[in-house]
Amino acid sequence: MIGESDLDGVFFPVLLLLATVALVLTLLLRWVLRRLRIYRFVWHAGLFDTALFVLVLWLIALGTTGLGLPGSNAT
Amino acid sequence: MHLFLQRLTFALANTTAVLIALYVAFAADLERPYWAVFSAFIIAAPITGAVRSKAVWRLIGTLAGAAAALLLVPPLVQSPPLLCLAMAAWVALCLWWSLLDRGPRSYAPMLAGYTATIVGFAVVEMPQAIFDSAVARVEEIAVGIVCGAIAHSIFSRRTVATVIEERLIDTVRLCAGWIEQTLAPASESLEHLSASRRLQELTTDLHALSGHIAYDLSDVPRTGRHLFVLQSRLALLPPQLTSLHLTLQARERGHSHAPLDELLDETVSWAHELASSKDPLGNTRPAPAVRPSATSPNEQQQGSSELVDRAALTQVEDLIATLEDCRLLGRAIRDPTTPLPARLEEEVKAARPLPHFRDHALAVLSAGAAAIAVMVACALWIVGSWPEGAIAAQFAAIGCSFFATLDRPVKMLSASLVGVLLALPFAALYQFAVLPLAEGFVSLALVLAPMVLFFSYLQAIPKLAGVALILAISFSGGLALQETYQPNFAAFMNVYLAEIAGVLLAIAINLVFRTLDPAWNARRLSRVAWRGLSALTRTNAPERRRSSQLNDCLGQLAQRAESIDAATRAHLKMDVLRDLRVDANLKTINAAERHGESSATQRLAEIRHLIGSIYAARAESKPEPAPEVIEQSLDRGIEALVAQPPDRWVTRALAGLLVLRMDLAPGAPLSSFQAAHK
Repeated sequence: MIGESDLDGVFFPVLLLLATVALVLTLLLRWVLRRLRIYRFVWHAGLFDTALFVLVLWLIALGTTGLGLPGSNAT
Repeated sequence: MHLFLQRLTFALANTTAVLIALYVAFAADLERPYWAVFSAFIIAAPITGAVRSKAVWRLIGTLAGAAAALLLVPPLVQSPPLLCLAMAAWVALCLWWSLLDRGPRSYAPMLAGYTATIVGFAVVEMPQAIFDSAVARVEEIAVGIVCGAIAHSIFSRRTVATVIEERLIDTVRLCAGWIEQTLAPASESLEHLSASRRLQELTTDLHALSGHIAYDLSDVPRTGRHLFVLQSRLALLPPQLTSLHLTLQARERGHSHAPLDELLDETVSWAHELASSKDPLGNTRPAPAVRPSATSPNEQQQGSSELVDRAALTQVEDLIATLEDCRLLGRAIRDPTTPLPARLEEEVKAARPLPHFRDHALAVLSAGAAAIAVMVACALWIVGSWPEGAIAAQFAAIGCSFFATLDRPVKMLSASLVGVLLALPFAALYQFAVLPLAEGFVSLALVLAPMVLFFSYLQAIPKLAGVALILAISFSGGLALQETYQPNFAAFMNVYLAEIAGVLLAIAINLVFRTLDPAWNARRLSRVAWRGLSALTRTNAPERRRSSQLNDCLGQLAQRAESIDAATRAHLKMDVLRDLRVDANLKTINAAERHGESSATQRLAEIRHLIGSIYAARAESKPEPAPEVIEQSLDRGIEALVAQPPDRWVTRALAGLLVLRMDLAPGAPLSSFQAAHK
């Protein structure tokens, strides 16, 4: 499940790449939600943001498992 | 109880962060897992926004430091003296840069400086390992940072916004109380200096918090522009209030002027209500205002006592307007949906950060001290063939960097030394007695948890935070010293002694180079301020940059002036509030000069140049213009303004000139003006 991807000779865990993408997406999403003033209805912004990140990461991981990313079929 | 829960939450969050960091570090087989622990402790703070901003800057600083080590070590490793020189220069450069920027950002360059020594000096014996060492350090620190940031974001609900709100309430309360004390007829000996120092501290706090806003979880206006405008208003308050106080003192005893007396009474009771109110921001009592009839000049009477009354009236009005603006801005910061009046809204839109006063002399001195400490440690290491000398050099760099912002770094360095010594037995106990018994991560976490919880709880208590951080760092640092899991007492002690030697070296160097006589330092800052003030008089245009730097410099001075006794202050001609008043009143006469008619502008320009020459002479310790000259020039200015139709600019400038006259020619009573005028 967690393999390594080869970026120009340097090995990175796939999870790290996915997490970086997820972080950027979460920040974008958070910015949009703030613009819409959704956070008025959020009790605990820190918890909400963390949960958002986990969900985004899960979605990305789900979406990319079948795509044959470098290393994603390694064990 | 509430406070206890808050602290307990913080301690639990931090313990979670530390243990998870340790778990991840062990699971990922990192070289020194305790570095992650160390890192989690360092970024811990009771405000989530502060944790996250510190986390970001720490990560950037660590990356930059590791990169610098990668660049410097391989080409220079064959020539130890050159390498040490290069490292010392790098540390000094980073520290200098960090000291010029006093915001949260300054953490990154400082960290970049000493991280390079930590990464670089550790591998000089085997330079081929430099890349692995750099990566390992960055990984360990990143694990600690990420765990800390996540744990604190999840557990803590104390956002920058709540802290800003608390500070705002304190600030308004302080200002209202100060106004009440100054204007109440019974007030006698009042400490303007200490009130202005407290206001300066709160403003500094607000400024530091505004640096964390971008990382906060709350919905406060992101850009912090409101805070910039608020800061500019808060800077107006001390000169306005003390100017008014001087004007009121100049009123003849027993003299009464009904509109002014009424307004003063109303202001006192309004300020009293704000100062004692639970929520001074939201208090809805309308601000006192002058009755319309009072503003019309009564029957062309222009003796000095009428002048003083008119001046006092405008000053009270301006003061009330300033405090009201502060409250409006405070309300808008607390709740972004609150509408602001159009004029403030425009100002907020156009607001930019206020430039800071940059204390180059002190920055260069501190940077130089750090470079010398590193070089001395390196000399001991190379010449003395002392294998642990590298660690002494690292700790000398850390010690010199960490407390470089303080006036007396030696005090905190000595406290750190005590902390390191206190933590030694605990670290040794854990290293040699407890940890070898722990089997697997769960039992390790269980034995570490009480210590971590204890340190974290101490960290949550503001007064003990510094001590707790030192203890926590020394403890985790003590555990981190071991490169292998095999307990080796001799190696442990060698490293520990090198660490202590490094801190001792930092103390010695700081004793020599960074022990500043407070009076000398205050005199130095005074001169910088006087030079700045004299530079401001060259034109009548509002010079935002210079004037904001001058204000900041005087604020720095205000924080230090109180520790110097009044006689010395008088001898050095040092008076922060007078200089603040001169600056503020100079601005009002500049405004009048820009708006006024030709006959008065000529006189006002003369006064401006005169103030410039007074302060230039004072900064160079040369003889200043004679008091009679100052007095005559100001009197001519007052006469010219009295002849003008009394619009807003003229009345303000008149008030400004009266106060300038009291500040710059303190010997001459105002009645002498009356005599001259008649």
